[in-house]
Amino acid sequence: MASKLTERCPHEAESSLEITLRQAFCCLQPQLSPPFPLTIPTQEQYSQLNKAILYGILCEPHLAKVHIKHLHAVITDGYEYFTSILIKIVNEMHGKLVDSAKRQLIWVTREMVDVSAIGFDGLLVALLRQIVGGDFGEENLWLCFEMVSLFSSKWDCMLEEVPLVLTGALYVFLRLLSDHCRVMNVPKIESLRKMEKDFCVKMLREKFDLCLKIGRDLVRILQDLVHVPEFRAVWKDLLYDPSTFGVDDFLDISKLYNTRTSKWYFLLRVTPQMESQLRFLLTHVKFGSQKRYQIWFTRKFLSVPEKNAVVIDIVRFICCAHHPSNDIIHSDIIPRWAVTGWLLKSSMKNYVEANSKLALFYDWLFFNEKVDNVMNIEPAVLLMVHSIPNYIDLTNSLLEFLLILLDNYDLERKEIVLRGISTAFHTLVRKGVIKSLDVLINCHKLSANLRERLAELLSGCSGIAESSRIPTSQML
Amino acid sequence: MEAETTLQPLLSIVPAAQNNINTKFIVLDKERVPLEGNHKTCRALVADDTAAVHFQLWGDECDAVEPGDILLLTKGIFSDIRNNFLLRAGKRGKLEKVGEFTMNFVETPNLSEMRWASHPQRPDKYVQQGVISTHSRLFESLM
Repeated sequence: MASKLTERCPHEAESSLEITLRQAFCCLQPQLSPPFPLTIPTQEQYSQLNKAILYGILCEPHLAKVHIKHLHAVITDGYEYFTSILIKIVNEMHGKLVDSAKRQLIWVTREMVDVSAIGFDGLLVALLRQIVGGDFGEENLWLCFEMVSLFSSKWDCMLEEVPLVLTGALYVFLRLLSDHCRVMNVPKIESLRKMEKDFCVKMLREKFDLCLKIGRDLVRILQDLVHVPEFRAVWKDLLYDPSTFGVDDFLDISKLYNTRTSKWYFLLRVTPQMESQLRFLLTHVKFGSQKRYQIWFTRKFLSVPEKNAVVIDIVRFICCAHHPSNDIIHSDIIPRWAVTGWLLKSSMKNYVEANSKLALFYDWLFFNEKVDNVMNIEPAVLLMVHSIPNYIDLTNSLLEFLLILLDNYDLERKEIVLRGISTAFHTLVRKGVIKSLDVLINCHKLSANLRERLAELLSGCSGIAESSRIPTSQML
Repeated sequence: MEAETTLQPLLSIVPAAQNNINTKFIVLDKERVPLEGNHKTCRALVADDTAAVHFQLWGDECDAVEPGDILLLTKGIFSDIRNNFLLRAGKRGKLEKVGEFTMNFVETPNLSEMRWASHPQRPDKYVQQGVISTHSRLFESLM
């Protein structure tokens, strides 16, 4: 007898995906035990058989070995269809799967890696997205543990076949470590932390040429881990001894600064459910009608203080991975700057707030028109400008933060940051995002010191202040 | 899958002593304290992109349903319960959660805040006679 696949709340409808899988299983059950028929199935029968076997693997753990043997025997498409349903299951119903099915899912994922199934990279990515930042619940930590074990144990195979997925895993585990290194007294966290550290350090030390593909956000997330000895050492080498990484053309950290990070990495740190709700908010909800949606989003994803750190990832997602069409921009839909403003004003710990502001301004620091997109820096400037009438404190604190970054982000490479920020401002005006910077420079509600420094910066003769030297590592 | 039923927009609903309303809406708010009687009941504000209405949750629906839930109602009824016009599943209807968050809504007009009167020629039918309140008087508007 097959156990159930998902745990449903009272009055919750069964998903159509689950229904089709179960129907395929019930219909083909007599054929799912040996002796297996030798007839060649039609395309339709083949799809049904894939679904039935998958349902059997997830719901009949005691027969999983029989089912997988059957699968290996019938496969004619390199497992492409099979992994595509697995990915759908992960994206649409992972949170609802019963525990035994979750365990089976990891087991069959390992099998798919072993046979180099077509699409196994997509499956790994889908699973990585299910790990929730700041969630110290047993289930979530279990998934972290399973995933980091999988990446560590299948290292060689992945390096050969899907190197890019390894860089995605590095991004995810570095990001998770910044949460995992901030807590004590969580059972089993110590061994998990060690596995995550080992994986990340191995990537950084042995495969730095791959790590470079992540681009500048690798620096941003590593910086958040400088208090961890293993990463402090990596950080020092990045700054002072780049040749240790053994990559010929990596002579300076600015190579990373100059590489814009692909939006693919930001998607790895928001769950599909979060993504669909944020995209709905930003494409369907009118400005002025967002309040209930914000309450619901907060209740679901941000209510536990530890989970607040995901705001950093959401800000990066909004700036870099959700670029609205011109139609939306000129409609009455809530703009991105308003959503980031709401997120920044939601109550959070100091380090989350600082990191969220850094996330908002990060592409400003190294802005280069040849590689960067003005849409990535648009939310920050509009947020500053539109907050002037009613939320001047926010404008003040954002502009102050940007100028602190200019002074302190990288003392050895101040010229780069200065060029980045001033190019960002000038590009925003030239592209018509804001008509002129006078709105900030001549705004008397803003602190005089900030306005003066901004004017200086924009006139191109910004004196690089020698005061308030704070080592980069202590900045945040 | 069940046979596709045509869903009607909330705005098209009129009170009737019939269990024939198939519709989909999002829950905006819910009374905190259910009314305990023989069966627990509590009222909720629900809406789609055409209208809002008060919905009567019954029994375990009171705890299962949360603001932000998207619900599918089949064979529901919209009728007068002690001078309140409420939509509900009733004994023959079915209420199912089919999603969350991703649905547009309006908070006005509110069908429970309309004045309904019997149709002059057909006493089993109701017609709208006027608006008592544009928005719900039971739940605070957050627009």
